[in-house]
Parts: sequence; C-alpha cells; structure tokens
Amino acid sequence: MTGVAAEAGDAVDAVDAAVAVLRAAERRRHRLDLSLAVATPVSLLALWQAAADLHWVDPRIFTPPVEIARAAGQLISSGTLPSDLAATLARLVVGFVIGAAGGTAVGLLLGIARPLRAALSPLFTALYAIPQIALLPLLLVIFGVGETAKVLTVVAVTFFVLEINALSAVRHFDPRLVEAGRAYGASGAKMFRYVLLPGSLPAIFTGLRVSIALGLVVITATEFVASNNGLGFLVWNSWQLFEPDQMYVGMATIALLGVALTAVIAALERVAVPWVHRRSR
Amino acid sequence: MEVDLLSGPERVPVSPVAPALEARRVSKVFVGRAGEATLALRDVGLEVQRGTFVSLIGPSGCGKSTLLRILGGLEQPSTGEVRSTTRQERGGLPAVAFVFQDYGLFPWLSVVDNVAFGLRMAGMGKRERHDRARAWLARMGLAGFERSYPEQLSGGMRQRLSLARAFVTDPEVLLMDEPMAALDAQTRLLLQEDLVRLWEETKKTVVLVTHSLDEALLLGDRVVVMTARPGRVKLDLPVGLPRPRNASSATGVAFSRMKADLWAALRDEVEKSLEHS
Repeated sequence: MTGVAAEAGDAVDAVDAAVAVLRAAERRRHRLDLSLAVATPVSLLALWQAAADLHWVDPRIFTPPVEIARAAGQLISSGTLPSDLAATLARLVVGFVIGAAGGTAVGLLLGIARPLRAALSPLFTALYAIPQIALLPLLLVIFGVGETAKVLTVVAVTFFVLEINALSAVRHFDPRLVEAGRAYGASGAKMFRYVLLPGSLPAIFTGLRVSIALGLVVITATEFVASNNGLGFLVWNSWQLFEPDQMYVGMATIALLGVALTAVIAALERVAVPWVHRRSR
Repeated sequence: MEVDLLSGPERVPVSPVAPALEARRVSKVFVGRAGEATLALRDVGLEVQRGTFVSLIGPSGCGKSTLLRILGGLEQPSTGEVRSTTRQERGGLPAVAFVFQDYGLFPWLSVVDNVAFGLRMAGMGKRERHDRARAWLARMGLAGFERSYPEQLSGGMRQRLSLARAFVTDPEVLLMDEPMAALDAQTRLLLQEDLVRLWEETKKTVVLVTHSLDEALLLGDRVVVMTARPGRVKLDLPVGLPRPRNASSATGVAFSRMKADLWAALRDEVEKSLEHS
C-alpha cells in the first residue's frame, strides 16, 4: 500500500468513526425526548395521587387517579361506558361524514362557479359566524328530541368548516398550476378531476382535522343538555349526581376519543396526500 | 423575358413555406380590478419558421411572456391574430408544449406521473404513457427518481423534469418561458448544454424567452429584442454561429460582437423600463 492510499484509508476510517459518534449522540437525544414525553404525564398523575392521598387537595372533588381507574372499570363492566361511547361516536361520525361530504362538494362548486359564489358565499360566511351550538334549540323545535337534531349540530359545524376550506383552496389555487394543466390538455372536468381536486386535498384535510375536533365539542355540549345517553350525558349526569369519579372517566374518554379520531384523520391524510409528508425528507 | 429564360425548373421559387407560428399585429390589454388598463403588447409581428430556434429577449415587464402565452394559445390577443400551421391535434396531444420558469410541476404527482400528464390527458393507457415517460426521464438523467415527488428534487432536476414533460408529448412547437431563470449559474450552464444538444437532435420549433444575452445567442438561430412596455419587436438578429454548438460557442469575436449589438439595442429599453417602474 502506498503512503497516499494508506492516508486516504485512515481518513475514511476517521470519518466513519465520526459518523458513528454523531449517530450515537442523536440516538441518545431521541431516547431522552421519548422518556421525557412519557415521564411528564406519569409524574403529574403520581403527584395528583399523592396530593389527594395526603389531602393537599380535596379528594371528593379531585378524585385520585386510582379511584378514577376503579370507576372506569365499573363503568366498563356494567356496559355503561361502551354504550355511551358508541352513542357519541355514532352521532359524531354520521354527522361528520355528511357535513364533510356536503361542505367539500359545495365549497369546491362555489370555487369554480362564480355566480353561485357571489350568491351564496357571503351568506355562508355570515351563517358560520353563528356558533353552531346556538342552533340546537331551533333544531330541537323542528326535529324534536331525537337523534336528528343532535347529528345536525355536528353536520352544521363540519359543513361550514369544509365549505370554507374547500372554497378557499380553489380560490387561492396556484394559477401557474392551472396554466400548466391547461397547457397539457386539461380543461373542464379533467381540469377539476386531475388538477383542482388533488391540489385542494391538503386544505380539505386541514378542514377535516379542525372540524373533527369542533364536532366533538359540539356533540359533547349537545349531549349535556339534550340527551339521556352518550359521553356528554355521562359527564353532565355525573356532575348532577355529584359523582366526580364518573365525571373524570367521561372526560378522559372524550379526550381519548378526540385523540383517536384525529389519529384516524391523520392516517387517512398520509394515504390520500402522500406528497405533503414526503416533502424535503 | 430574360428572367424567364434564366429560370430553369430548379430555379422556380418554391411556394413560400408558411411559418410554424406567426403573430400578426398582436396587441394585448390587461384590465385590472380597479378598471385600469395596461397595454402589454402593441402591434407585435413575429414569424417563427418551422424547425428554428428563436430567442426572445427584452426588459422586465415588456410582455415577452405574454407574447409567448398568446403564441401557445394560453392567452387570447386583444387585437391581431396568431396563425399556426401546426397540426392541432395528434391523438389528443397538443401540438405545442410549454416549459415554465417555475417549472409548473404538479406537487401531488410523482415524477413519472408528472412527465406522463399530457399523455394521460390525451387518453393514453397507463403502461404506454409510463414507458414513454420513463424513457424521457432516463434521457434527462432522472432514472431512479420515478417515484419521487417534485419537491424532493433540486431545482436543476425539476427543470429537467419539466423538459421531459414537454418532450414526451413530441410537440411540434416548444415554448419556453425563462426556463433557467431560477437556477444557479453552474446548473444553468449544464442545462443550456442539454438544451442545445436536445434541440440539435430533435429540431423542434422553439421560442425561448430569456433574460440572458448569452443564453439567447448560444441557443437561438435568431434573437428577437423587444422594447419596454408596451412591447414591440425592436431588433431581429440572425445568429450565425455554427452548429453543433456547446459552451465554447459562447466565446470568440463573432459572439462578442453580436452580444454588443444586442446590448446596444436592449440597453435603452431597460433604462426606459426602469424609469416607468
């Protein structure tokens, strides 16, 4: 081996060693991030438990986590929690699907049809400004205390969020991409199908993420006042009967449901809009 | 009578070949939201012969991009007309292909689907259009990136991709709007050489809008200089540089003299456009 080659070999070895050191350091930082993310909520729960046990706080109001877990076990085995969860989930999903499909279709249509947009867009914007939960009494008057009124509150909030997002996506569509589409033979229905629709999907998914969270808020509030089942009812009824342990179970379930539904939307988004997530990877 | 005697059969002038593209007294007015009118082009006449490469140069805002889009049918002239002898449809494929400054690539389509977009719009089946797209990707040095998305590529690769998208439709006319303006100087040199080579292989009819005097001369058979807004044709300079050309064609006395001529014509217009803005 010549001296130069040997030196080059040494240099390669040295670089490899440096890379290994940097990789190990990055792995350590990553492990630390993970353990901190887990340790924080676990410590807070432990602190809560200790505070209640030692009567730093009133355990009748701040039910300690162990008691909450016990209450959750009872609610699950009695079937109350699963049936409340199913009732809320059904209302939310039905309302969300109807509202999202309708809102997206109407928003896209208003985006491409100027006279329709001129006629309806200001009206929809004004209606969106009304908190959808304020519609509930009216819906109850019209539809009675059935499922329809409850589902429609979710439909209303989802519809407007998607209508506004889809409309805005088309209105602010990159004109250079429309021009490129036109230059390569897309017009009319093809322009919509192959350019406008796929290009609007990221904004539509943003709308879905926002409206699933809003939908959960609205259905919970609706069940507070106008339902005798569902997670909202569980929380509200537990407060009225002063059973805070059950109330906490209901609140935690609502929170977990929100996390789970957001994760479902995020998973759908990764499938439907893969290019957004592969950006500069 | 003598003239008649002299003209043998081989001397009879062939019927003049109609240019592939011709703009006649084209003007374009834009009307803004507040109702203000801007005259972008005034009485532009331009002929582009089949199989020639015309570089279009002019100060910023002189309407050269607008002229290009009018030539390609993406925009209608306010007055005047554009004539084209290109066959309008070949199995649904447009006779004209565009290459845009900012590439105009669809971020939601993979590299291979971007290239195949025009073929898909023309109704070509998936296998055939992907085969053709892959062949052009390979030719442009992008083999192996078929399943990537445009945002994962560098600027130079994106512009090669947009060239592949144009060439794959085998257009008769290629219209390029400052295709290299967004690239760094070295990438730009490489792509210019690619373009020279591609053009000399395919002999498409090309109109290239550019800001660069060197690029206009290196690539073009003619360089057309436009005035400040409203744009008109100021100078139509034939470029006599021998082909095949390469980067070293942009050296030598003839090149320098032409560049000086171009700049002399362009300089006043650039100053005018500065005064306006």
